[in-house]
Amino acid sequence: MVAGLQVGTATTASAQDCQVSIGAVLSITGSMAAIGSAIGDAGQLAVDQFNEAGGVNGCQIRYVLRDDQGSPNVGVDAAKTLVEIENVPVVLGAIQSGVSLPVLTSVTVPAKVTQISCCSSAPSFTDLAASGGTDGYWFRTLPTDRPQAVVMANIAREKGYKNIAVIYVNSDYGVSLSRQFKAATEALGGQVASMTAYNQEQASYRAEVNSALQGEPDALFLIAFPADGATAAREWISFGGTQNMLLSNALRADEFVDAVGAQYLSNAVGIDNAQVEGPSVDAFNTAWSAKFGSAPNGPGLHTMYDAAAVALLAMEQGGEANGTVVRDSIRLITGGEGEVVNPGVEGFKRAKELIAQGKPVRYVGATGPITFDANGDVTGPYLIWGVKDDALTTLDTWDSARVDAAIAEIDG
Amino acid sequence: MLQALADGILTGSIIALGAIGLTLTMGILRFANFAHAEMITWGAYMALGALALMGPFMAPLGALSFGLPLIIAMVIAAVLTSLLALMIDHLVFRPLHGRPNDMTIVFSSFGVSLLVRMVVLLIFGGSAQYYSNTLQIAVPVAPGLRILPDQLFVLGFTIVTVISLHFFLQRTRLGLAMRALAENPTLARVNGIDTRVVIRWTWVIGASLAAVAGVLYGLTVQLRPEIGFHLLLPLFAAVIIGGVGNVFGAVVGGLIVGLAESLSVFIIPPSYKLAVPFIILLIVLYVRPTGIFGSAHHAGAK
Amino acid sequence: MTGFAAYLVFFLIIALTYSIVVMGLNLQWGFTGLFNAGVVGFFAVGAYGTAVLIGPERAGAIGGFGLPFPIGVLGGAALAALAALIVGLATLRLREEYLAIATFGIAISIQLIALNFEALTGGAMGLISLPRPMLDVFSSPAHYNLFYLGVVAILALVVYLALERAVTSPWGRVLKAVREDETAARSLGKNPVLIRLQSFVLGCTLIGFAGGLYVGFIGYVSPLDFLPILTFQIWAMLIVGGSGNNRGAIAGAIGVWGLWTMSGLLISQVLPVQFQSQGGAIQVILIGLLIVLTLLFRPRGLIGERETVSKHAGPR
Repeated sequence: MVAGLQVGTATTASAQDCQVSIGAVLSITGSMAAIGSAIGDAGQLAVDQFNEAGGVNGCQIRYVLRDDQGSPNVGVDAAKTLVEIENVPVVLGAIQSGVSLPVLTSVTVPAKVTQISCCSSAPSFTDLAASGGTDGYWFRTLPTDRPQAVVMANIAREKGYKNIAVIYVNSDYGVSLSRQFKAATEALGGQVASMTAYNQEQASYRAEVNSALQGEPDALFLIAFPADGATAAREWISFGGTQNMLLSNALRADEFVDAVGAQYLSNAVGIDNAQVEGPSVDAFNTAWSAKFGSAPNGPGLHTMYDAAAVALLAMEQGGEANGTVVRDSIRLITGGEGEVVNPGVEGFKRAKELIAQGKPVRYVGATGPITFDANGDVTGPYLIWGVKDDALTTLDTWDSARVDAAIAEIDG
Repeated sequence: MLQALADGILTGSIIALGAIGLTLTMGILRFANFAHAEMITWGAYMALGALALMGPFMAPLGALSFGLPLIIAMVIAAVLTSLLALMIDHLVFRPLHGRPNDMTIVFSSFGVSLLVRMVVLLIFGGSAQYYSNTLQIAVPVAPGLRILPDQLFVLGFTIVTVISLHFFLQRTRLGLAMRALAENPTLARVNGIDTRVVIRWTWVIGASLAAVAGVLYGLTVQLRPEIGFHLLLPLFAAVIIGGVGNVFGAVVGGLIVGLAESLSVFIIPPSYKLAVPFIILLIVLYVRPTGIFGSAHHAGAK
Repeated sequence: MTGFAAYLVFFLIIALTYSIVVMGLNLQWGFTGLFNAGVVGFFAVGAYGTAVLIGPERAGAIGGFGLPFPIGVLGGAALAALAALIVGLATLRLREEYLAIATFGIAISIQLIALNFEALTGGAMGLISLPRPMLDVFSSPAHYNLFYLGVVAILALVVYLALERAVTSPWGRVLKAVREDETAARSLGKNPVLIRLQSFVLGCTLIGFAGGLYVGFIGYVSPLDFLPILTFQIWAMLIVGGSGNNRGAIAGAIGVWGLWTMSGLLISQVLPVQFQSQGGAIQVILIGLLIVLTLLFRPRGLIGERETVSKHAGPR
């Protein structure tokens, strides 16, 4: 009886003296560094809030962030230290698919650790998961490229663009998004005038721009990251390219707008996943602004927050900091008909209460509702953004139903 | 096509400016300086720093995107780049001179290039920057040809610089000494030329031209810590095509490389463009390793 | 086996793979005085060559021959040798620095091919799901890693012993003669160009071979693995270990790779957030400083060239 009491008090008191670690592999330095640090902060925010809500399974959470320097060999090494030395049950990241993939195949899957990426959108993961190569340990909180391409093709049709040039970054992200866009556009009766790849971090993209201008396109779909994208967009406009621009999700950054000049972007429309309206999104945005003093504009922030939150809730739900348990618990706390909980300390507190009572929970996150399919992919809502009065603004939103309908139209 | 020609000449003229300095150092100091391209980066960023100190932009000159301050900044950049070159020579290259393996000095320049590039990255950050954030719109001058007013300035400025350099090398004592040393070092020493003075001026001229190239590049394209690194191969190709030590050859070589890069997009996808200088280089090395205007003396020095 | 030991095994596999690269480079620089500025290019050729030969078939792609791993690695090494031959034949009869320029150029070109020639290399997405040799024989990933470490360690040892024998053999003495006094070597009837070409091609073959081993372990290949910075890292390993010394080359590979992976963590923890995106620059500056300062003040490297190889001070 006495012993039982002591055990009871031990579990509540242990929040201070036990610790679980959660790992993240992100590009803090290297070619993605411009966005990497902030993404790291988004993960930290989720962990801090969860700790404030009482930690996971009564333990304080330690957030171990490691730098992959934008290169796979360093990323794999970083993930390996997280798994073997820090004993993390979950690895968040990486940013580039080219880093996430070797981490997945040579570290997390063999070690039965769950990996949740905020930012890797390559279709190869879906293929790998479908063929059983991930054993279910792979998840990502941003939608794959296909829905984005389909929505963008619809926007192009609405705008009446008939002959669209595509300039895309020669990375897994750019290659797959550009191809999906071409397929979707042609299925909707439009035409892609040219597909021009550019290599990252070049000083000039004039040759690429010239080559894309050849087909006299009436619009440009630019698939790029902010810095290189600004270079390409400047040269495009400068050399007489149309200002009817379609911009990919990674370009939704103040850095891009400032470098190109807002006055040239008044006709541009961009796409981004995530930030739909609603209390869950507001909860994240408010928390972010309160902590960092700026609006959460930039790729990967919302998805990273959700990746961390989903991992922690799954740990709480499964009652154990174990990769396989996390894997099996993730769908319990996202899909389903449970009580909706939102980001933030209050939301996490409520979720912990419900889980303790054995009641179902449904996390609706910074990116809105999240449902992972069998391959660990999500389809999500999209927002359409533009530039008004020198600032990024939201022009329209596409909820999941509308996105699904658009995909159905193409698939017939 | 017309556009590609114009772009090729423009890039070529900037490569030429950088290649002049490189061919002089390769000819006179007798080593391939991998750090030379970083002088271009350094010069471009020093001008950016100088501009920032001079405060807001003065009214632009005519249709150009910049005003007088940029010209002043360019001069400051040339001075600062020369100082850097002299400092590197003093700290690294000179102490390594006379080491049994000549390649030690080439290898050290490889290490120095990395250092300079990373220092720039550290001070100025990795994202693209511009001398003026206002976007200049190219003017259509012929069907299928658009040119930025700044580009005309670049071309004009390059031509003036090359012509002045030509007179310097043809008419002044120092210039003649430099040419002599570059084209035939043994003969020059016999003629009693003070090599130390010549070497110092070689660094100053090479670095200044690199700084000018950097500013002009930054003006028409943008500033990035990698601009020099990406120009390194084109520079070497230009020098070898023109013949090591040959200033006129470097200019011609620069134009050939610039045009070849620009026109290559009609044959191969633009993403392979960076390999074009290497292909040209390989062809020259197999077919005529002395370059078009080079004497057998340099390439055959083995 | 978990925890630190498992990580150590993993770390050593990568470090020993690099040590084979460093020994290949050492043959070129330490023993022959050839400056290879494009190490990463030859490493990439070996890696991609192996990947294409052993990889599964892909729709609409070249390669995917599904060959056994040993054949794949040897094929990759042979391709690296071929690349070395192309550059070597063009430059080795000319001024020495032409080799440096040409190797720098071929590395950039190889990177472009890796990134853009999608039918062969998988382009930016790389080649995935490459078979890892004998994976199904082992019950757990930890055992497999231990096995792979054994393979890499034995191969590194074989390379080490073979090189040690080679440099003390008559061929090695000619190598030294060419390096130290070309005219004398020529007067003894040795063709310096041919000797240099042999050394260069053999060195690149080893570098390509290590590329194949790397692929066999990671099971994946992408252009991101072959960035120019790797060339500098390999050079730092050689310079720290001491050129002309194969044992130093191995120690340098382990030491520098260890520092590199740890310093990233250190920098990300020490630096204030607003400077973190530049933290990588600091790491690279350290590498650059290491190279330049060692050349200036400790030309024999931290371990140094052994007396038996050369009684003259200084690297050559």
